[in-house]
Amino acid sequence: MDAAANGATWLGQAAWRAVKFLYPIALVILAWAVAAHAGWVRPLFLPSPQAVAEQFWPMLNGGEIVAPLFLSLYRAFGGLVIALVIGAAVGVAIARTRWMRWGVDPLVSVAFPAPKIAFMPIFILWFGIDSVSKVLLVAFTCVFPIIVATYHGATTVSRTIVWSAQAMGTSERELLRRVILPATLPYIFSGLRVTVPVALITAYTAEMVAGGGGLGSALMYAQRFFQTPSVFLYIILMLLSGVVLDQFMLAARSWLIPWQPEEDS
Amino acid sequence: MITLARRWGSLAALLMVWEIAVVTRAVDPDFLPAVHTIAAALWDLVSAGEIWINLLASTYRALVGLAIGTAVGVAVGLLMATSRAANGFFGPLVAMTYSLPKASLVPLFILWFGIGDTTNMLTVFLATLLPVVVSTYHGVKAVPQVLVWSAQAMGTPRAQILRRILIPASLLSILTGMRIALGFSWVLTISAEMIAAKTGIGKLIFLYGENGSYAYMFAGILAIVAVAYAADRAMVWLMHAALHWHDSADLAGEH
Repeated sequence: MDAAANGATWLGQAAWRAVKFLYPIALVILAWAVAAHAGWVRPLFLPSPQAVAEQFWPMLNGGEIVAPLFLSLYRAFGGLVIALVIGAAVGVAIARTRWMRWGVDPLVSVAFPAPKIAFMPIFILWFGIDSVSKVLLVAFTCVFPIIVATYHGATTVSRTIVWSAQAMGTSERELLRRVILPATLPYIFSGLRVTVPVALITAYTAEMVAGGGGLGSALMYAQRFFQTPSVFLYIILMLLSGVVLDQFMLAARSWLIPWQPEEDS
Repeated sequence: MITLARRWGSLAALLMVWEIAVVTRAVDPDFLPAVHTIAAALWDLVSAGEIWINLLASTYRALVGLAIGTAVGVAVGLLMATSRAANGFFGPLVAMTYSLPKASLVPLFILWFGIGDTTNMLTVFLATLLPVVVSTYHGVKAVPQVLVWSAQAMGTPRAQILRRILIPASLLSILTGMRIALGFSWVLTISAEMIAAKTGIGKLIFLYGENGSYAYMFAGILAIVAVAYAADRAMVWLMHAALHWHDSADLAGEH
């Protein structure tokens, strides 16, 4: 088989995969279009897909999409970075030292199942209504899964490897940097992949609850004025932002940690 | 007693530091009420019955939404794991909607169903559905095919295979998904209540926050954190009770 034919089959396979993935979504949009055009429900309650799509360019040009989206992303990622740094440090620390485990373990076990959004009013009280309170709420939400994932990873490092390193005179610092951290990295990353959508969801939800700009409060604003097509558009944007970020995380994983293939999840 | 002290000692120490810091005015009590002030506020809410009504409303929404989400989620997960066509259809939809903040649907549901239990439960239902679907699917997929073949060879009907093999063998995975969903159910209930509601603990917390009654606000948050913790422990207990026969029943190190 020559290269051209090979390329053609590859393209055909890719197209087939795309069709297989997209047809249920197309069906849902079709059902939506039929329901909207049949006139069973008023457009105020269910605008047609076209009406929603037509909103896109005017809203994009009006600055109602890019700036709020980036504000939300900034809040989500700002919180995520804080959670990652603190969570990884605390996770390794409670895996390595007993008094840290004594101090932090009960806190984590109570805070892990707690609905963190309930703390939003406290964060508003302490840090105001702007970005800081939202960034810190995202950090507060994401830090616990990362602590648990890091702790789990750091305790799986084989004792013999740690002992061997110590026997060869490796300092605690070098041990962390050269042994514990590389072994823990895949676990931290798994925790991070779970946490990225959580960060995004928390940022959007906090904005819906507390206002202060971003896609979440833009959504609430559109609803207040019964601009239902805009409401739909914002929901779709939130959905797509999550999907894109998850694909990005998958790509980043195979680039950062090529020695451990992704387990099917 | 000693294990209890060891287990919760650090939390008690934290509360003590908090109390001392506020009483000595190292921290402004307008920003962080003292522990005893919050305790008094909580007692006030408990004895006036205000907290029970709102906790009950929220718990009712969270648990009904979770129950429907679990029932539908297990059904869809089973269908996806046993039928290629169903997997082809639902798989992309689940993948696409997994990272959608379900709270974003609250404004839409308010438009359709008004403010109240329906809007709230529907949001919780959608949020709890997906983790149960995914964990059921993976649980059933992980059941050794040999078990199914053996049952088929002995002439077991399809419904029996489902009830006696697939569901028990994937129960750990289903319950794990349900535990995640339980956590989601509280978050979504409270978010929806904070966005728009007439009752519920989320509404209560938000109202006290807006009125500047911060001790009561903290008391409300404390109450929901306690309820969510208790529900999570109950779920773990249920997992042990349901899976005592399972290989992984020693997941808490009881063996």
